[in-house]
Amino acid sequence: MGDENRKILVVGGGISGITAAIEAAEAGAEVTLIERNPYLGGRVTQLNQYFPKLCPPTCGLEINFRRIKQNPKISVYTLAEIESLSGSPGNYQAVLKLNPRYVNDNCTCCGKCSEVCETQIPNPVNYGMDTMPAAYLPHAMAFPFKYVLDPGIVGTEEARKCLDACKYNAIDLDMQPASLNLNVGSVVWATGWDPYEVEKVDYLGFGKYPDVITSVMFERLSAYNGPTGGKIIRPSDGKPVQSIALVQCAGSRDENHLAYCSGICCLASLKHATYLREKNPDSKVYMFYIDIRAMGKYEDFYVKVQSDENVVLTKSKIARVSIDRESGQMLVEGEDIGRSEKVKQLVDLVVLAVGMKPGTASCKPSLDMDYDDFGFVTGSGSSGLIPAGCVKAPMEVAASLQDSTAAALKAISTAMGR
Amino acid sequence: MDQKIGVYICSGCGIGEAIDCQALGSVAEEFSIAKVDHSEMLCGVTGIETINSDIASGAVNCVVIAACSGRVKTGEFCFDPMTVISERLNIREHVAWCQPAGAEDTQMMADDYMRMAITRVQKTTLPKPYLEELDKTVLVIGGGVSGLQAALEAAKADYKVILAEKEASLGGQMLNWYKNTPTQAPYQELSEISVQATIDEVTSNPNITVKTNVTIEKIAGAPGMFDVTFSNGGGTNRIGSIVLAAGWKPYDASKLESLGFGKFPDVITNVQMEEMAKAGAIACPSDGSAPSVVAFIQCAGSRDQDHLPYCSAVCCRVSLKQALYVKEQNEENKAIVFYKDMRTPEQAEEFYKQVQKNGVVFVKTDTSKVTISEGSERKLSIETMDELLGEPIQIEADLVVLATGMQPATLDDPILNLEYRQGPAMPQLKYGFPDSHFICFPYETRRTGIYAAGCVRQPMTASRAANDGTGAALKAIQCVEMASQGKAVHPRAGDMSYPDLFIQRCTQCKRCTEECPFGMYNEDVKGTPLPHPTRCRRCAICMGSCPERIISFNNYSVDMIGSMIKSVNVPDEYDEKPRVIGFICENDAFPSLDMVGINKLNYPPWFRFIPLRCLGSLNLVWIADALSKGIDGIVLFGCKFGDDYQCHFIQGSELANTRMTKIKETLDRLVLESDRIRFEQISIDQYERIPAILEEFTQRLEELGPNPYKGF
Amino acid sequence: METKIPFLEVSDAIVMSGAETLYWCMQCGLCTGTCPWRLVPGEASEQFNVRLVQRMGQLGLEGFESENCLFACTTCRACVDRCPRGVDIIGNIRGMRAMLAEVGTIPPSLKPIAGSLHSQGNPWSGPREKRTEWTEGLDVPAFSADTEYLLFVCCTSCYDIRSRKIAKAVVTSLRAAGISFGIVGAEESCCGESIRKIGDEALFSKLAESNINLYNGKGVKKIIVTSPHCLYTFNNEYPELGGEYEVYHYTEILAQAAAEGKISLSGKMAGEVVMHDPCYLGRHNDIYDAPRNLITSIPGADIKELARNRKNSVCCGGGGGRVWMETKAGERFAELRITEAIESGAKTLVTSCPYCITMLEDSCNVMGKQSELKVMDLSELVAENL
Repeated sequence: MGDENRKILVVGGGISGITAAIEAAEAGAEVTLIERNPYLGGRVTQLNQYFPKLCPPTCGLEINFRRIKQNPKISVYTLAEIESLSGSPGNYQAVLKLNPRYVNDNCTCCGKCSEVCETQIPNPVNYGMDTMPAAYLPHAMAFPFKYVLDPGIVGTEEARKCLDACKYNAIDLDMQPASLNLNVGSVVWATGWDPYEVEKVDYLGFGKYPDVITSVMFERLSAYNGPTGGKIIRPSDGKPVQSIALVQCAGSRDENHLAYCSGICCLASLKHATYLREKNPDSKVYMFYIDIRAMGKYEDFYVKVQSDENVVLTKSKIARVSIDRESGQMLVEGEDIGRSEKVKQLVDLVVLAVGMKPGTASCKPSLDMDYDDFGFVTGSGSSGLIPAGCVKAPMEVAASLQDSTAAALKAISTAMGR
Repeated sequence: MDQKIGVYICSGCGIGEAIDCQALGSVAEEFSIAKVDHSEMLCGVTGIETINSDIASGAVNCVVIAACSGRVKTGEFCFDPMTVISERLNIREHVAWCQPAGAEDTQMMADDYMRMAITRVQKTTLPKPYLEELDKTVLVIGGGVSGLQAALEAAKADYKVILAEKEASLGGQMLNWYKNTPTQAPYQELSEISVQATIDEVTSNPNITVKTNVTIEKIAGAPGMFDVTFSNGGGTNRIGSIVLAAGWKPYDASKLESLGFGKFPDVITNVQMEEMAKAGAIACPSDGSAPSVVAFIQCAGSRDQDHLPYCSAVCCRVSLKQALYVKEQNEENKAIVFYKDMRTPEQAEEFYKQVQKNGVVFVKTDTSKVTISEGSERKLSIETMDELLGEPIQIEADLVVLATGMQPATLDDPILNLEYRQGPAMPQLKYGFPDSHFICFPYETRRTGIYAAGCVRQPMTASRAANDGTGAALKAIQCVEMASQGKAVHPRAGDMSYPDLFIQRCTQCKRCTEECPFGMYNEDVKGTPLPHPTRCRRCAICMGSCPERIISFNNYSVDMIGSMIKSVNVPDEYDEKPRVIGFICENDAFPSLDMVGINKLNYPPWFRFIPLRCLGSLNLVWIADALSKGIDGIVLFGCKFGDDYQCHFIQGSELANTRMTKIKETLDRLVLESDRIRFEQISIDQYERIPAILEEFTQRLEELGPNPYKGF
Repeated sequence: METKIPFLEVSDAIVMSGAETLYWCMQCGLCTGTCPWRLVPGEASEQFNVRLVQRMGQLGLEGFESENCLFACTTCRACVDRCPRGVDIIGNIRGMRAMLAEVGTIPPSLKPIAGSLHSQGNPWSGPREKRTEWTEGLDVPAFSADTEYLLFVCCTSCYDIRSRKIAKAVVTSLRAAGISFGIVGAEESCCGESIRKIGDEALFSKLAESNINLYNGKGVKKIIVTSPHCLYTFNNEYPELGGEYEVYHYTEILAQAAAEGKISLSGKMAGEVVMHDPCYLGRHNDIYDAPRNLITSIPGADIKELARNRKNSVCCGGGGGRVWMETKAGERFAELRITEAIESGAKTLVTSCPYCITMLEDSCNVMGKQSELKVMDLSELVAENL
């Protein structure tokens, strides 16, 4: 260990990228981890709990951030993108574009800039379900623990106000995009996934009715640090939710949308059932599915949720979501396969189990890799880039991390020119 | 080391408004320290420079940073751990941001924290890492796809590997396969078995020594210094770390008589089916005829509380594959799959679709309730409820294939044969799988340096098992690399402290050897603990367990925490200022306490929190010390325990809870109410709960009145 | 419950009859949930479950043969468009019907239709020689070598008195647009779209081959059709039998002419109209804009959309042979459309398919709404605005 060429670039600072970076660094490699957002953690930052343990993702993130902070072999760049990438195994040249944060390392997170900032912007961590000041800390446990100024206010009076409020010279409104050249021996591509644009499944009503939301939004709606402080209420009128419909395969297993199975949604929805049941003991959950896919020991979780008599599971692919004029509730319709009769269920809130689209479906590296028809990476191609996590297949967190750990070893040997 | 303590106090971020920093400095000066320095922005260039130049000049060699949380500004406040003792005293999130500014009680809180921080430093010595000559060879147990890949990938990274296989040849279960489920886009065609190519790569790799026909007779020692003895005259080797890729075995079909196995010769398992296909012809065992209708019964044993409660994950795909074998043998043949849920996750959905397009018939039913009897036109008759039709159906077939599930090879064989005080096997998580309990840390095990991979860990496909081998190999490599630097692995990665036992005072009570979640201690014949530091994960649960207080770390000891408690200033009972010590898990609850401050939430000023490596390191003597000193109450914040425990050290918080049930004796002796101690399970995200818990506990203490031992 | 014995040989036969994608179905039930029969009450709504029918087909079981089960399907294609597995559900229904047609067990109400097609080449029991009766007084040219388009008039508009107005309006409009067209007349037969959907493959082939021979002999290259059903068949089912033509629905031709300024529309009868997308023009042929463009080319015309429009349009109930079957009042899809149209506030409901006109106008009358809503074919609206 300790070879000069054992330098690794990890692209994507979600839980997969974080894991690949830490695991490689703790095995002796020197790692640069880059992330497009102003914080690390990616999609899991936006989750309330993990199935099947129902434990908070911030727990694992916190320990990983600690491992990063204490390890001098890991350099982290947020707000960073790949501008160009060339080379081959053992010798890659990457040019990073570092977008301005408008806040420098002096930031102590005292919060004064945010206090004076009156411009509100949609909060991306909460999928725009609420707003926040344009000078903001992405979330309370963010790493790096530093504020960000939204580029939209830079050059306005608002930004001046933030600048004046900062006692520590931490705001730099002249910050420009910077370039950084890296020479590394291997590159791990861990750019994660995006929720499917479920408004395309138009009969499910997303985008048309405020009380139809996606599963990822439901995570925020259930989280202590979410837009409602963890209260599960209807977006339309703020009333507490008494009943939900969990609509599976909202885009997945469907040739017109995502032909593959997104793998995680059944378990995520079973977990969502527990969110509402836990917070509101009088509530009722209706879950509509084609097949329940709870592999391995996850079956135990399925059995556990199933045993709650207020969680009703129905084999049905939902065909229509509309508003019931009389009650103002959402009406969910389809066929109950087990009974060969109509499903007509009124609920307060509809949660669509949106599928996973690989990050590489919309944004591929400039170097060659092999992809399937859906944009998932199937091989390193001629470039030797190492894919990790959900860019390869839909995976739950544990599987992504298993994969990223494997990617870390491949990155080490690739960097050695093996 | 002759300690020269420098105390650096920051007044930025509202600290200066909340407390009198000069007065706080005076508290520090009550101790024997080298200097106190004040700054309005300690993390700024000037602040950092001051500290660094004090260290460089030799004016100080211990620093107390009284500023923000130790979770932040770690790059700025970063000192050489081998030469400088440093302590982060959080007067921002834990005082200024959660207490009223300028209040007397706020100041008292900061003052106490200052006393505690300096005391902690005084009780700390520089680390002396455990450095031994360690071996870095990786032992891979099991020559199936997972083990082969683990061996190959470790060898590629230039590590020596010994690959041990119990059979005469490498390849594992896959050797018996005809074809594999699709492994490549567009995921529609069956794949050829390619294990031979991997075997050839392994056998020709100079870094890999293959031992076949061997099992593990015993494994003694610890990471970096395992002595592994192989059976069959395979000798003994020094090993650094181990990948356990012992694979799986099919569920015992003889237990499936209800599905006709053993009763009808033409009811077979998917393993038998695979062997037949591999041998070249699918035939009915009863008469050797080629079947024209073949039925597959899914979840034969799996997803069944009477057999295997879990899903074996691959059987749906295996039956789809074998249904295609049936079609391949004769395209006129019929294949019918009886299933509970068709589980073809991810891109395997495309395979399911392709098999449907090949005309395979699917029947959704509770397969545990399928009735199999002798047929009239064909050999067997299958009767069950077709949930898609909503009516019972009866269908005849020539051959019935039971999709039996997977069980880990470790189910009834320890395989490792560890010479560990806590037993020869890797502790199981559930159903015999030595899997990780941690979603975020899939390779976490309770035997440091030993990592499970492939189907021994959980049911998985062959391609995933190979990949899993790679991940486990990385962990094995990482472990020896960290150990060789005297550092701990996850979750206290990089920690150079390790337990030091004052063995002369040991009473052989065996609590440490029993309670260590990682089996770090062996015992000699008398029951004296024999520590193996490279197995240690530095949780200090042993320290908490020891009634004789003989287990210490250079920077964490019973005496240290006890002294910190003693350093807290306890006002007398007429002041009506209760004091409560909070023992708090530093992994989850402590950051959560930071969140209380960041969110500017308030709680009563009577609490003094002491972070513990794990609540399991809580030693009961601290409680007795605190209460006998006049502390009014004790609050403990630990991770959730039980089946879905969140403790990073497996049982730490649960052990602490168990110890609390035993504290009653102490309380009785002191004639104190048991309500003075409160245990709460707190997740990292539940910071909102903290103020309410503390308020409520304060009220309870007020009801109980002051601790009568005040002033003693 | 009686135990059913699946006959996989029967399912094989169904597949051979055209239900090629029968086994592709994973039984998710989206088709049944999407089916317009779920929107109405009644016997067919209760009996016809398109998912379950296919399940019975997969297992070769009986019990789906009735008029209000297998023959309830209007082939509206709403389910096909959404099917997550790409199952040709209409093809499967057709295959199952074909199994029955082969042994002559189609519902009684359809038997006279088949008989008329056999003997007269049209389903309306009209004498073959009266196929051109509608042209009286219009002086419609015969198709010749000099004519650009063959105008193929749907049997419905040849024989049905109400529907003849459509044929006339199309002719008037095409003429006003200066289109070169002509008709073939009595030698022509029904395109065969509906009878194929009913399952009579042999009869379809007979009709189609006769037309193809006729057209090929006359050198037909381009066809204008009045019905989107004919459009579907000419485009999708004739080529494999040797009939390859460029086929247009009249709305496409007229919309193009209007766009090019070749037809001037006065706007004298304009105003708010609401538009019903015929299944066969929309979902089956993906034509949504041509009729809309044509309407908006009328000065002063304003299109209102039904709540369920374009690809979400609800069937009139007339496809797949249903136009010849009786659906009780109160159970008809057309009633939903009439109600929706009235709710839209428009006074005129415009569509562009003879079956839709038949079904919608009938329901409008039965509901007693004829004073509130006028049902018109788009050709009629164009003709009135010339």
